[in-house]
Parts: sequence; C-alpha cells; structure tokens
Amino acid sequence: MVQAILDAISLGGTYALAALGLGLVFGVMRLVNFAHAELITISAYILVVTNDLPLIVSFIIAAVVTALLAVAMELLIYRRLRGTGPAIMLIASFGLSVLLQRVYELIFGALPKSAAIAPWMSGEVKVAGASVTISSIATVVITVVILLIAGYLIERTSLGLQLRAAAIDFKTARLLGVRSNRLIASAFAMSGVLAAIVGFIVVVENPQVSPMYGVNITILALVGIVIGGISSLRGSALGGFIVGVILSLLNTFLGNARVYAYSWLFLLVLIILLVRPGGIMSKANEMERV
Amino acid sequence: MSLLEINDLYSGYGKVEVLFGISFKIEPGKSLGIVGPNGVGKSTLLKTIVGEIQPKSGSIKLGGTEIKGKNPEDIVRLGLCLVPEGRQIFGGLSVTENLQLGLTGRKDKSTSKKALDKVKEIFPVLTSHAKHQAGMLSGGQQQQLAIARAIIADPRILLLDEPSLGLSPTVIKDVFDQLKSIISNGTSVVIVEQRAHLVTSFADETLIMRNGKIQARITPEDAKDELKLKHAYFGSDN
Repeated sequence: MVQAILDAISLGGTYALAALGLGLVFGVMRLVNFAHAELITISAYILVVTNDLPLIVSFIIAAVVTALLAVAMELLIYRRLRGTGPAIMLIASFGLSVLLQRVYELIFGALPKSAAIAPWMSGEVKVAGASVTISSIATVVITVVILLIAGYLIERTSLGLQLRAAAIDFKTARLLGVRSNRLIASAFAMSGVLAAIVGFIVVVENPQVSPMYGVNITILALVGIVIGGISSLRGSALGGFIVGVILSLLNTFLGNARVYAYSWLFLLVLIILLVRPGGIMSKANEMERV
Repeated sequence: MSLLEINDLYSGYGKVEVLFGISFKIEPGKSLGIVGPNGVGKSTLLKTIVGEIQPKSGSIKLGGTEIKGKNPEDIVRLGLCLVPEGRQIFGGLSVTENLQLGLTGRKDKSTSKKALDKVKEIFPVLTSHAKHQAGMLSGGQQQQLAIARAIIADPRILLLDEPSLGLSPTVIKDVFDQLKSIISNGTSVVIVEQRAHLVTSFADETLIMRNGKIQARITPEDAKDELKLKHAYFGSDN
C-alpha cells in the first residue's frame, strides 16, 4: 500500500513537471508543443550515452542540451511562424516532433539504447514496515523540490508574474512592457529544463530509450493541462499530477484488468471536462465581474 | 517640438484598409479627444500608434523619434502607454500584481516604490483592495486600476480607448477627474470615445473621425454649438 501511494505521488509529480513545461510554453504562445516529447527523449538519450560520467555531470549536460534544444526550437521555427495562427503552429510542432524522432533514429539508431542509470536507486528500503524502492522515494523528493522551486519562480518573482500575466493575456502584457521575445525564450528554456528532469526521472525507471520515448508521457501531460485549466500554470501542474496519480492507482488496483487503465482514465477525464469544461482551475476566470 | 506627431498615416488589417492619411499632433501636458461612430477606425488608430498593428505608410513620431515599426514593449519604454478598450486587467491576479506588471515598462526602476505610492494616492480605492483579485473589482474600480497600471510606467503620453465603456455617469465623472489630475502632472492624454459630448468638453482639442479620416477638429468652444457638433459627427447630410 505504501509503495502504491508513493508510486502514485511520484508518477503524479512526474506528469505535473511535464505538464508544467507544456503549460509554460502554451501560456506565452498559445502553442501546444508536441515536440516537448522530443525534449524528454533527448534528455533520456544523453543520460544513457553519458552514463560513464558522474550522475550529476551527466544530468547537467542533459539539462543544458535539452534547454538549448528548446530555445533553438523557438528561435529557428516557432518565432518565424508567430502570428500565422494556432493551426499552423500546431502542425509545425507535429512536424518538428516527427522530424526530431527521425533525427534521433539517425543518430542513436532505431533500436532502444539502454544503460543502468543510478542503479543504486533500484534498491529497497523499509518505510512504515513496508518495502519501497529508493527510486520512488527519490522521485517524490525530486518532484516536490522542483515543484516548490518552480512555484517560487512563478509566484514570487517578476519573471513568474510576467509568465502568469502572459498566460492570461499576452497582448496586454506586451502593452505593459513585457518583452515578448525574452519572455518566450525564457519559457522555452524553463520548459526544456523541466523536460530534462522528467527525462531523468523516467529513464531511471525505464532505461530503454527509443526515438518515441517521450511521446506517451507528453500526451498524458497534455490531457493533464486540459483538465487542470489550460490557461493556468497552477492548473497545468495540478492536472498533470491528477492524471499521473489516477493512472498509477488504476495500474495498481486493476490487477489483470490494467490493460483497461487508459480507458478508465479517459472516462474520468471526460467526466471532469463535462463538469468543468474550462478545467479544474477555471474558477478564477468565471468569477470575473463584467 | 510636438510630443506625438502623426503624419499621413495609412493602416489596416491585411488587405483591409481602415485609416486613410491621418495626421495630428499633441503637445506636452495637453489633452486630445478622438471621437466618431463605431467602426470608423478609432481603435485601429490607437493600435497602430502603440505598435500592435504595423502601418502601411506614414510616420509616427514620439518626441521627435520615429516609432513606426517598433514593438509595443519598446514603445512603452519610450513613454507611450495605452489603456485598452475593455480595460483588459488581469482578473485572476491581485490588484497589487496588476500594478507591479505596470512597472515592467518603467525606465527608472529605482523609483518604483515611489510610483506605486503615487498611484495609490491618485486612486485610493486601490489601496483598500490591494490584495483582492482584480476580476472581483467593480467596473469603475477596474477602469481606475487599468489607468493606474498604465501611469505607473511614468508615460509622457497616455492613450485611453473608450474609458467610459460600461460605467455609470458618476463613475465616469470620477475617472475624468482623475485624468485631469494626471494631465496637471504634465502627462499628455489622448482619449478615444464614441460619446462625443464626454470628450469635446474635456479635451483641449477633439478630432472627429469618419470613414478612416479626420473630418473635423473642434475646440471646447465649438462643442457648445450643438448643431455644429452634430454636423461634424454625423456629416453635413444628417
């Protein structure tokens, strides 16, 4: 039971980080960046291929490369397409996602690349009389710490205030002097670092990295930002967390019927959306007076 | 030298042309009204001045510097702020956070605290609601917040798009009184309104727009002549 709760929180936290990364970019650009999956994938690949280096060095390289790739996406593709409309941006992000998958295939091969990342994390310790894996405790600690840092950045700093304002109304934020290029590049860089952390968390559990490694988690994180409230960074993180927790609990308690876990998850998502079409955190907007 | 000088400005949305050769200027510490029926291009004019829409031709000079083609965020830093139509406050953020966002476009950040205190002095209602969600303020309070958020950037010129929209006559009077106090501090003000009588008696000069062009320029003295005002607003055929 303790393991099940820890697994649920750790998967919830992982999806919260992925959803927050997506939400940051959506907030400033109204872009659903499908290529976020490839940011998670590149982080995992780098952690695998630099496995001989000390873990912290390997992670720093992964975080820097992933953040740079995220900023490059914005500078080379999305910035040039800004103002063309959401449909074109969406298709561009699809295209970029598929293109990067093929590039990864060329560089790393079509077969999964594998390495034992932080093997000490697969050990077990006793918590409240039950055996739990070190990796699930580490994941909970990492996600809580990162979410607290992200929360501080978003809630307490000037950059965070600008990101929140831009997520509500980017046009008005610019009229107040918020520098669009700088803010969008910062959002992509932060999104890249978050993707690198997600890549690290998932590669410890599943070190078989293939070109489409990050796709599944990105799709579920997208579901999370929709149910959390797509215009709210807090909502994005909360939605991601909820999706992760539900999926983990379904996988644990459905037993042999876990093959239907996704069906149950999406049924719950539909119910949430029917009750709250704007997402769980849409209350603030509804309360606005006219 | 004029503070804001617009010369032969043509602008619109893609192939749709809306403004045809607009020219006017405003001096420091003065007020200018722009009135006209719905759809004549008043908001397009403001959006073009603040850099939201790129003009097709013409010039927009702020303090002698050409600002045509610049981004809205750069234009704010040069001292020109817009209070957009519908206020566009950030309803999900607190009143204080809305004001802090206004500081983003301020050149001199060292005097930010002073600037915050000053706007709270002009708009005392914002102090008592500092921690409240801005979306919960009344329409008049939201309008005051939108103006406060703009003037906190210390603009040389403030543009307001339909500041009376959705407000009761008493609140409109309060808002216009506060605008007078802003003008007396040396900031120039441009007010765009559909309701001509509100602006013509307030502004030093009022431009009347029709079909994307300036049709008439009237002073508060001219505005007292109801017939002349009607002709200027609706055209001599009416």
